[in-house]
Amino acid sequence: MVSLSSFLFLSFVLFLTGLMLVLGRKSIIFVLIGLELILNAAALNFVAYSRFVTEKLDGHLFALFIIVIAAAEAAVALALAIRFYQLKETTHLDELSELKH
Amino acid sequence: MLVVAIEKERTFEKVAIVSFLTILFILSALLMLVSCLALLLTKNIMHACTFLLAALLGVAGLYLTLHADTLAVTQVLVYVGGVVILMLFAVVLTGGQDQESITKEKFPHLAPLFGSKSTFLKAFLVSMIFFVAAASLLRLGEKEIVHVVAVNYAPTIQSLGQLLMTDYLFAFELVSVLLLGALIGAALIARPMKK
Repeated sequence: MVSLSSFLFLSFVLFLTGLMLVLGRKSIIFVLIGLELILNAAALNFVAYSRFVTEKLDGHLFALFIIVIAAAEAAVALALAIRFYQLKETTHLDELSELKH
Repeated sequence: MLVVAIEKERTFEKVAIVSFLTILFILSALLMLVSCLALLLTKNIMHACTFLLAALLGVAGLYLTLHADTLAVTQVLVYVGGVVILMLFAVVLTGGQDQESITKEKFPHLAPLFGSKSTFLKAFLVSMIFFVAAASLLRLGEKEIVHVVAVNYAPTIQSLGQLLMTDYLFAFELVSVLLLGALIGAALIARPMKK
């Protein structure tokens, strides 16, 4: 029942959801939510392989680093979103076409 | 006699733990899948943040079924306590207006996949039924592989800390510098604009 392939299927669904959000939405915050889901899918794969295949803890550490990097990415990207809103009064990604105001 | 009784009790304990893990796995997988589906269907950013929270909690439950206790706690602390709250702040500060999906305008032939809820649900149900059927067919052909691992329910935090301070010391320091940079950068980017 609980095998490696079930975890791989779950992380595949997570990754697919993130990809659909990144590709299909125009709001910058939805895109960030999709990115978080993709990073989580990668971390889940690391932990599943370290449990069922290698049986060492290295995969846990990689997942830990992924969580830290996702947090850093979220902080910077949300700061950018707020800055973008200050400049353009919207969070629509089509308006994001120039680097300097 | 006593030995047999103890053995019986032990196997009962093992079965109880295994079935508990199975139930935990099913619950967290369902939570994750349902909130992923809801994330795809919703257009309200506030609701999307809540569904993201549920999906991340589901992933934390999956970490628990993988015997990764430290990671599950870190997931809850960092995501629920940090990232989702940050996102809610960003949503509130940017007005949180509802956004249309891109697919309706640019790819009309893909619109049913994203647009109508009923077609999406039907497609999802059909694909799930096909997946289950294919998985059970594969299962019939597969030999019964019993995964025998000396299951270790010990906490992982001590060995993780030792690994972090020996083999992964450089990556650890690098990540701390990255976090400092992200902190300063985020504060710098989001500062109030000069007129």
